Amino acid sequence: MESNRLQGQQGGRKIVRVCVNIFQHNRVFILLAVFLASLPFWSRAVSRAIGIDLIYVMRMVGVFTIVAVGLNLLMGYAGQVSLGHGAFFGIGAYTSALFTVKVGFPVWLSIIAAVFMAALVGFLVAPVLRLKGHYLAMATLGLGIVAFVFFRELIWLTNGNDGIRSIPKLALPGIKITTRKGEYFFVWIVALIVLALCNNLVRSRVGRAIRALHQSEVAAEAMGIDVSRQKIKIFMLSTALGGLAGGIFAHLQGYISPGTFDVLLSIELVTMVVVGGMESIWGAVAGAGLIIFIPEIIKAVPKWLGEAPKWVERYSLYEGLVFGLILMLTMIFMPSGITKSLSDMIRYRRNPIHNPFRKKVVE
Amino acid sequence: MFGGLLSFTFAVSIGLPLPLALLLAVLATAAIGGITERMVIYPLRNAGVLIAIIATIGASIFYKSLGRIFWPEEAYKVPDFSAGNLPIPRATVSTQFLWVIGLTAVSVVLVYLFFGKTKAGKAMRACSINRQAASLVGINVSRMSFYSFLLAGALGGLAGLVNAPFAKYSIGLFLGIKGFTAAIVGGLGNTFGAVTGGLVIGLLEELIPGFLTVVLGISSGFREAVAAIILILVLLWRPQGILGKGVMEKV
Repeated sequence: MESNRLQGQQGGRKIVRVCVNIFQHNRVFILLAVFLASLPFWSRAVSRAIGIDLIYVMRMVGVFTIVAVGLNLLMGYAGQVSLGHGAFFGIGAYTSALFTVKVGFPVWLSIIAAVFMAALVGFLVAPVLRLKGHYLAMATLGLGIVAFVFFRELIWLTNGNDGIRSIPKLALPGIKITTRKGEYFFVWIVALIVLALCNNLVRSRVGRAIRALHQSEVAAEAMGIDVSRQKIKIFMLSTALGGLAGGIFAHLQGYISPGTFDVLLSIELVTMVVVGGMESIWGAVAGAGLIIFIPEIIKAVPKWLGEAPKWVERYSLYEGLVFGLILMLTMIFMPSGITKSLSDMIRYRRNPIHNPFRKKVVE
Repeated sequence: MFGGLLSFTFAVSIGLPLPLALLLAVLATAAIGGITERMVIYPLRNAGVLIAIIATIGASIFYKSLGRIFWPEEAYKVPDFSAGNLPIPRATVSTQFLWVIGLTAVSVVLVYLFFGKTKAGKAMRACSINRQAASLVGINVSRMSFYSFLLAGALGGLAGLVNAPFAKYSIGLFLGIKGFTAAIVGGLGNTFGAVTGGLVIGLLEELIPGFLTVVLGISSGFREAVAAIILILVLLWRPQGILGKGVMEKV
């Protein structure tokens, strides 16, 4: 009897220990999930107080988190710049929209089709990965422009500038998602699955391989890594995630037009990755959150001021001013991204803001 | 953008004589370039290229909004440098085109001489090839970076103001892509290559969509994609440019 109870106690302790272990290894992930799950309970009060519809904005943050994670795998981990990821986002959106509207596929199936289509296009344009540095950046920027022009000019397929209207709402087999909260949960469940998978990927053999080729392709080749194959694989994964996010985006908006998927979108995506922090899965979440929220906050500021001053009339002009300024200042004072600076602050009690204007002895 | 807008301000709003207004506008854009370098590029000299790119994109968004605030209207009319059209039968060619071509030729020659003959130009080229080696032979790299931004600011301002009588408010990114494509097609670091590349791109951009519309009946809206497609193809097949010599690849 006595020994049995002891064993039971030990078993209990073991379970607790395993739980603590799991928690410690996935701290950020679990905290994020808890935060997201609790958001709908207090969002209404906060939304009213600050004048921003939190659930509505957070849906978009989820969508852009998916692209940003994919782009961070490519840029942060594998070191291959892509200034054309808006194109794959657009390809996903158009594929999913066209499959539902013109072919009549169910929504979940056409989102899957969007993923495969984006990956396929990624595979077809993969030869640009032979280029390096600025050349790769410019070539992918060119790809973005070509895609944008095609969205606009293939009028028989995409309706040109008029865009595609009345795209059906998100749905799973058997479940129709009608409320904003439902969409919010759908987006973030997908995003969390993607985050978990990518978090595992970068700690795996493939993750080490792509980080090795980031450092030196020659050295990676010498260690037996098939560099071009790995690059193509990670590029395709990244474009597939872009397609996934694009597909979901089309069904959230219900209406897409070429203007959404121009070069500025691609630049915004790169900004999310860099501001959030390169080589950091969580950086993508932070970056997407920040870049989506900044314009909303800037828009909400006049509401907080109550009585609108005269200059608020042309207030929209100041949005770009503030956005550009925030972008510059973040890069100057936190060049390794927000997540890195903040985690350094917590872990090493280091000042998160580093002042580059201070003189250093040796460069 | 600032080139055109500032020359408008100096020439029309303040009422300075045109040559003085243009000179002031170029100096002002050079100053803006210099300030940007000191505030944005200099602090990021040890960070990666990508960080610097994002920071400069931030700067360009900032300046664009600033321009919008000071010059809120859609279009401003900068006076032509000289009135009248060229005496060519059955064609209307403004004499402004002569100014554009002439000033382009002068600035190409000046830039060529600067990079090829002067000490500062050679030092700048050394910095672009290898910063560390350049600083080892006694070149002040950060000062060179500052000078190059002054120069780029002045040339950008000049380009803006000679084209101002034709141009719209924001010509934007497509122009940047075309410029880069021209430079790549001609071969980077080759001033005359850039001119050839510019001519080739300009001609192809008019001819290919024309051909597509007339022969195949495809919409001419694909025009904007031509430069981008040429860019990608040239990068993949002849990264040294059409005129450039082959470069040894590190294996």
